[in-house]
Amino acid sequence: MITTRDKILAGVTKPTRYTGGELNSVMKNPNRVDVRWGFCFADTYEIAMSHLGLKILYHTLNEREDTWCERVFTPWTDMEEQMKLHGMKLFALESGDEVTHFDILGFTLQYELAYSNIVHMLNLAEVPVLAKDRDESFPIICAGGPVAYNCEPIADIFDFVMLGEGEEMIHEVTDEYVKWKKSGKQNKKDYLETIARLDGIYVPSFYDICYNEDNTVKSITPNNPNAKSKIRKRIMKDFNAAKAPDSIIVPYGDVVHDRVMLEVMRGCLRGCRFCQAGYIYRPLRERKPDTLMNLAETLLECSGYDEISLSSLSTSDFSGLPDLTDGLLDITERKKIGLSLPSLRIDNFSLDLMEKVQKVRKTGITFAPEAGTQRMRDVINKNITEENILHSTNLLFRGGWSNVKLYFMIGLPFETLDDVKGIAELAHKVLDVYFAIPKEERAKNINITVSSSSFVPKPFTAFQWVGQNTREQLIHKQHIILDNIKTRRIKYNYHDNKTSYLEGVFARGDRRLCSVIIRAVEKGCKFDGWTDYFDFDKWMETFDELGIDPDFYSARERSYEEVLPWDHIDIGVTKQFFIRENERAKQAVTTPNCREKCAGCGIASFGTGVCFEKRGESNE
Amino acid sequence: MSNYILKYGRDDRVKYISHLDFMRCFHRTVRRTDLQFIFSQGFNPHPVMTIAQPMSVGVTSECEFMKVGFEDGFKPREIVEILNKAFPPGFKAYSCFKLNAKEIDITKIDKALYVVETEYEGKADIEAFLSNKELTVPKKTKSGVRDSDIRPHIFDIKKISDENGVLTLEMLISVGSAYNLKPETVMDAMDKYCESFKHGFMNIHRKAMYGGNVERLKNIE
Repeated sequence: MITTRDKILAGVTKPTRYTGGELNSVMKNPNRVDVRWGFCFADTYEIAMSHLGLKILYHTLNEREDTWCERVFTPWTDMEEQMKLHGMKLFALESGDEVTHFDILGFTLQYELAYSNIVHMLNLAEVPVLAKDRDESFPIICAGGPVAYNCEPIADIFDFVMLGEGEEMIHEVTDEYVKWKKSGKQNKKDYLETIARLDGIYVPSFYDICYNEDNTVKSITPNNPNAKSKIRKRIMKDFNAAKAPDSIIVPYGDVVHDRVMLEVMRGCLRGCRFCQAGYIYRPLRERKPDTLMNLAETLLECSGYDEISLSSLSTSDFSGLPDLTDGLLDITERKKIGLSLPSLRIDNFSLDLMEKVQKVRKTGITFAPEAGTQRMRDVINKNITEENILHSTNLLFRGGWSNVKLYFMIGLPFETLDDVKGIAELAHKVLDVYFAIPKEERAKNINITVSSSSFVPKPFTAFQWVGQNTREQLIHKQHIILDNIKTRRIKYNYHDNKTSYLEGVFARGDRRLCSVIIRAVEKGCKFDGWTDYFDFDKWMETFDELGIDPDFYSARERSYEEVLPWDHIDIGVTKQFFIRENERAKQAVTTPNCREKCAGCGIASFGTGVCFEKRGESNE
Repeated sequence: MSNYILKYGRDDRVKYISHLDFMRCFHRTVRRTDLQFIFSQGFNPHPVMTIAQPMSVGVTSECEFMKVGFEDGFKPREIVEILNKAFPPGFKAYSCFKLNAKEIDITKIDKALYVVETEYEGKADIEAFLSNKELTVPKKTKSGVRDSDIRPHIFDIKKISDENGVLTLEMLISVGSAYNLKPETVMDAMDKYCESFKHGFMNIHRKAMYGGNVERLKNIE
């Protein structure tokens, strides 16, 4: 039989983005569940299906008998056209049903540039964008994920926001939803008042924001007795025991991360001052190698994947790494499975490991010194020395590697032009290391690639007060690097900084930006993370039209006294600590990592993780 | 280790998977079972398997064939059962034949029977269409689009039904390396040679393939 579905899918480039039905995707009878959940990721299938959080929460929710959680992604523009042509609204992948009257739609916020796509998706679903315009017949719209810690620019869209790790929280809000639905779904506010009392739940409409005449925030005040003055994030206290899904969806098409991802730990102990992930996921908590081995076997068996990757913010800091890799290598050799080890520090141990893992091919290796001079690396607390880098590259070149990528940031706070020049100089020093090795002992055809990205100050970091470099400053710095690279053996990659600028505006934005985002989407902005669709001029035009100065959010340096738009959110790391870290940055003084010495960031109040390790026990 | 000929198919649920994606999907399916691929020797070992006729995106089938090497340990009937347990929903293995020599040669498959459902306008006079001595239409070849006479490669066309503006045809046509004719090309020829006829959106299903002794594979039920 010829169906509308056939006709729609015949007109799009990658139909398997929309068909669902992959191995281990979950089908249920919609009449037998109380809650229809849509897990929304505001980007394409390939990006969304690479996201570990989705995999965890999807299976967690689907373990409930009363709930069917489906996936909802942004249709690519060819699909959007087909949908419009056939009068089709945004749909969920599993059932193909429209999501317009689902019970709950939850967006994961992974990057600021997806904001426009969220509004776009709600438009496609024909769901009113603003929470205040939705009555009980529409889904409850919520959000979570790293960007949720300051989602003020789109806070007016959400009925509630989940802060922190969602595995437990998501059950609690679903339980309460079931109760509310069974009681007749009278008043959305009743539901929101109930969940506002739960830890980690932020109901934006329960807070009034007042502004000063200079446009800074004057106050953030709860307007509902159920709303807490500070909302504290949630974490999985016993991460080793935290349930990891024993099943994963296996996509048909090519997705970005198409492999088993083994989450070995959460959090990071390094304390790089620019890094939001390093602070918001604190404290560092590990899984035991045994737990991980079992998980790896289960996931490989249920998926048939031939590749497994360790997932964490800094794999080398995982204390169980030697045990785990020994065990994994045993499986991977037996079953001809590839093991990839991202975020490794280069030392003798990891080089041996890489030898074992990739027996023949020696592809490129990426280093992230982040900054060109030692002074600058001390400012950002990137505890890697020039000696480390030169020593490691020496080992690599002697070991047969010839492609080295060096990754840097420009536009860092307290950066001088000498620091920028230092980027080119460091690349030359790496090249010198290569030439110092006798010809017969080194790999042939050296290739060094230097990449620089533009630093974006983020909330909940030591640099949350600093002004972002202007686009002109950044372009100047890119030219300095370019001019100081004197050989064709070093290639310099840099890109336009318009997206970094917009990201910077949203990252530290407040609620007044919501109108800009909605208006920009009306004017056609979407897929801002995709070069083909990003339209910077349209965004600037919209800021202009609404009389909002984007530089106010990006370029302006804040004082410690200023009320920040995210001051009502408590990630466990204190503001006093961030002030201390910013002051140390000014002096270029480093702070030791959590295992060396506790810096008193405040996260110990969660009572778990690296803060309670016995010193010396987990090292090595 | 032995070589096997596997007969399998796919339904509407998985018909949009491309050839390469299917290969990967099959690799993973086998990895989920106790079956063990035979790997090619060399720098970049890969499972030894050949697919007779890659399926176009959107086409369903009940008669695909592949030659694949597995380590010994299972009877052909067991291989069918094992694969059917491990396949994602929408794929089905029908039968399996263990090769001793070249009893079956899937490279010699030269005919396929398709069921084509199409929306259309006008009138489809199949008899008159087939009475043409020559049916010359543009056809994609390796060296670009060229005019080709497809008449010698159409062995039969039958009308199965004609309801509500949807015409269902069964057509037996050439496939394979010697001359590969697609049902879409036949429909283009009907547009050209049947006066007033114009086909619309269509669904294609491959019902059977012939040649190379593949009929020796009987479906296990």
